[in-house]
Amino acid sequence: MNTKRTLVHCLIAALAALPLCSCATTPHVVEGPNKATSMGIDTEDFASQADQMIQSLLSSGILDKSARKPAVMVVGRIVNNTTRQLDTDLLTKNIRVALNKSGKATTDVTGGALSDPDFTLSGKIIENRVRQGNIRQSTYTFQLSLSDQAGTAAWEEQKEVTKQSERAGAGF
Amino acid sequence: MRNISWSSLVVVAAAAFLSACAGVNTVERQDPAGNRQMVPDRRVITDQTLDRMVSVVGVNEATISTGLLKIQVELLNRSTSTQNFAYLIEWFDANGMIVNSTSSRWMNRQILPGQTVDITAIAPNESVKDFRIQLARK
Repeated sequence: MNTKRTLVHCLIAALAALPLCSCATTPHVVEGPNKATSMGIDTEDFASQADQMIQSLLSSGILDKSARKPAVMVVGRIVNNTTRQLDTDLLTKNIRVALNKSGKATTDVTGGALSDPDFTLSGKIIENRVRQGNIRQSTYTFQLSLSDQAGTAAWEEQKEVTKQSERAGAGF
Repeated sequence: MRNISWSSLVVVAAAAFLSACAGVNTVERQDPAGNRQMVPDRRVITDQTLDRMVSVVGVNEATISTGLLKIQVELLNRSTSTQNFAYLIEWFDANGMIVNSTSSRWMNRQILPGQTVDITAIAPNESVKDFRIQLARK
């Protein structure tokens, strides 16, 4: 009788463990659209913002007005005005790669030693947080400016990405 | 008492359902002043539900002053619910070879019921002559 009960218990334990086993997955590369998103600025956000900025810059035609072709650009400081620690290279590197591949501009890799660039790129990332009931919202504003040799703004752009999450409420 | 509770629940549930279905009303010029150069397209639909939620109305293209190809994809949500989706635009040169670009990655968007969304993209360089758009549910 006891043996039968133990057997039933073992069976129940094994059945209960089954779904737990099926939850575990081995690490794998994700290339599709279902990458995880956080409330912060993810790599995908940097790439997406950089892409929108590049499209705006390339369609403005300002790089084609430079005397030198391709135009020479220095990527200056990107101020992180958010509460999060960000590596702004994730934004600027995407821009540099896209610009170099476009053939419209080359970027300085000397770390600022170039004396007479045609353009200088600078910018700022700003965060604005809102909480309404169970909803948390963070809006990140990306601002970029391209200044010419005279120091005037040749191109400017601002893009936003808003993220929202809802804290689970109490169940009935 | 019990009846009142049930009817209240039904009203709340109906209100929640209706608010979830809130759509977008659109107004535009009857005869558009802009002349779109529409691209005859070929579609491969494997997800009918997605096609209803994020329906491709059409694709138009133009070559901008800097010599780069620009495309605009008009999407319409024909369903009654908000849909999160992702899109990927790939670029090809004159030989049909894919052009590697930082912009060729899945981008996330959201579309409200009845809303029209235009996705624009500019080719990464002047060698680009063609494109392919992929849409997926999030």
